[in-house]
Amino acid sequence: MIRIKEFKEPQHNLKSEKFVNPKKLILPLCQHTGRPSTPCVKIKDEVEEGQLLAKEDGFISAQLHSPSKGKILNISNFNHPVLQKGNAIVVLCSPEKKSYSLRKHIDDLGNDEIVDIIKNNGIVGMGGAGFPSHVKLQPPKKIDTLLINGCECEPFLSTDHRLMIENLKEIFIGIEIIAKLIKPKRIVFALEENKTEEKKQINFYINTRKFKLPKTELIILKTAYPQGGEKQLIYAVTKQKVPGGKLPLDIGCLVHNVATCFAIYEAVYLNKPLIERLVSFCGDSLVKPKNVWVKIGTTLQELFDQKILEFINEPKKIISGGPMMGITLTNLEYPILKGNGGFLFLRNHVTEIKESACIRCARCIDVCPMNLLPQEYVKRVKNEEYNNLVDLNIKDCIECGCCAYICPAQLPIVHYIKTGKVYVPKN
Amino acid sequence: MSLRISCSPHLKTKLTIPAIMFQVILALIPAIIASILFFGIQAVFIILNCILTSVITETIILKVRKKPLLIKDFSAILTGLLLALILPSGTKWYAATLGSIFAILVGKHIFGGLGANIFNPALIGRAFLMAAYPKMLTTFQLPKSFSNIAVNSVDALSAATPLSLRKFSQTITPTIDLFFGNIPGSIGETSAVCLILGGGYLIIRKIADWRIAGSLLATTAIISSIGYFLNPLNGSMLFHLFSGGLLLGALFMATDPVTTPITRVGRYIFGISAAIMIMVIRYFSGLPEGVMYSILFMNAITPLINRYTRPKRFGI
Repeated sequence: MIRIKEFKEPQHNLKSEKFVNPKKLILPLCQHTGRPSTPCVKIKDEVEEGQLLAKEDGFISAQLHSPSKGKILNISNFNHPVLQKGNAIVVLCSPEKKSYSLRKHIDDLGNDEIVDIIKNNGIVGMGGAGFPSHVKLQPPKKIDTLLINGCECEPFLSTDHRLMIENLKEIFIGIEIIAKLIKPKRIVFALEENKTEEKKQINFYINTRKFKLPKTELIILKTAYPQGGEKQLIYAVTKQKVPGGKLPLDIGCLVHNVATCFAIYEAVYLNKPLIERLVSFCGDSLVKPKNVWVKIGTTLQELFDQKILEFINEPKKIISGGPMMGITLTNLEYPILKGNGGFLFLRNHVTEIKESACIRCARCIDVCPMNLLPQEYVKRVKNEEYNNLVDLNIKDCIECGCCAYICPAQLPIVHYIKTGKVYVPKN
Repeated sequence: MSLRISCSPHLKTKLTIPAIMFQVILALIPAIIASILFFGIQAVFIILNCILTSVITETIILKVRKKPLLIKDFSAILTGLLLALILPSGTKWYAATLGSIFAILVGKHIFGGLGANIFNPALIGRAFLMAAYPKMLTTFQLPKSFSNIAVNSVDALSAATPLSLRKFSQTITPTIDLFFGNIPGSIGETSAVCLILGGGYLIIRKIADWRIAGSLLATTAIISSIGYFLNPLNGSMLFHLFSGGLLLGALFMATDPVTTPITRVGRYIFGISAAIMIMVIRYFSGLPEGVMYSILFMNAITPLINRYTRPKRFGI
């Protein structure tokens, strides 16, 4: 674990805005962990806002809905921040807006019906990986502890923080739904100590008894990176370790991000699919950082075209995600996906890196949250000795980037580890 | 818009290898000042000689190996400086030069240069000189204490180090002299207070790892306390901590990242074992001092320590 300068100002205190009128939306079919969804519309079809565009393919997959009324322009290959290229549905939007009404008789719904609603609204984990939520809500084992992750440990990003300040009640209703489905013994709401504003309100909601929750507590963790990582969070809260190759549910834990709780609330109460999300746009190349509610599929180019965002200078790096694990983009023609919490436009933070020899100072080993030996991976990958990488548990690496951050030799350790993982022999 | 593509993470600490080396050199400045105060112009010559020779040797070797010139990383300067500080003030110029060449060539570049050497280069240089000029390396001079400077004696008087006095004439030097460094010895090792200042700075700034230095010093303290309890002529705990090369070795040699274990447990093992060896040599061998050989020996078994102290991955 490391402590990094957070760079959360000023977006931490900026009220969220809405951007509702994109002209065109690019909706990649793979915005989640699992198999890509299969399109169920044809080119030139007219679609309504919230209409199903692509169906799930298999158990671990998710549905995709149209974030706007419009016309299907194309279904073709398009830029994808993670996969580089991927099939996407292109929707030409018309500016009509749909309003969602509160569903009645929530209490009458059975658990299976609620899971179906969540599934049919295409809800995936909003923390980044995008694991389909309906899968996580049908655990094959008993869950003791439900963790609500409000840590947001990546520097710069502030969407979870803003959401907790502006929509805390809805988040708690979402938690209530999850608690109804999986019946945990206790719920732990985890925050980092840099988020002080929402602390009081969360405590208030926990104590009001307005929500039907089991034993619930708020835990304030020391600010550290990668505290918000699933395994790290579970350890910080319960002191239990998730064994290598196992899932949190194997030790009776389940982690949901606060943004996912909000999406679950919208799906169940408003029957609104996951078609928009809060995104932080920050970095020193922007005139002003912003937290914006955008429709899924909006391209960065469009945000600049419509003057939602403006450059103050030319950025050297555009990053999808946070600065520690984010992916650099080659241009602005990238769509915003369900799992994107933020985009960075950096200039002065980008420094020249001169790679030099490793002096075995072992700082990488000291900071590794998974207790691995990053410098050994670098040595072996450089020498192309891929065989014994497995014995060194390279697959347990979560690529959090602490090692490369701290390395005084400025070695791109994560790059070597990713290379190593590709060459690790199967089986 | 020309954008850069790179692998995450996109933030980095400002701490680089040259910065680390520079901090270590900075931490040695009190010891350098003490050496000049106590041993005068001879100390200046030895220090300059070693640093210059090391830098020139490094430059030539890097040219021959067709490697990028990395003099700016301060590592050659540091090796030369450390070697100078562990030489007696009577070391002749040719010995200091040869020792520096040997330290850089055999101590460092034979193994592949920065980060690849097994032994501490400065200690390799001294070990070589011990074999080549045993008389010169074991003849120590009385420091030019302030009263002596006025007398201006050209030929310094040779004298035995506190550890030799303890071993061969059962005389214990007062701790206060050991603390300030007004004693015979290698030029940089005599002043305990200066070394503690510098070493403390490194540990507080987290440039050096406290585990090795801490465990080494603690073990020495425990063993010497027991020894003192059994026989006061063995020397007190502070006597053993402040005498010889122990502080310089523990704070600046045993904390060299390249030649010491990478694992936390391994670092404790390194420190404790080195301390045990030092005390065994001091108590039972024919030599008065054993810091150099102990650290070199532990350097040799560092890969073995690394292998058997691999941390368990998170989650087992």
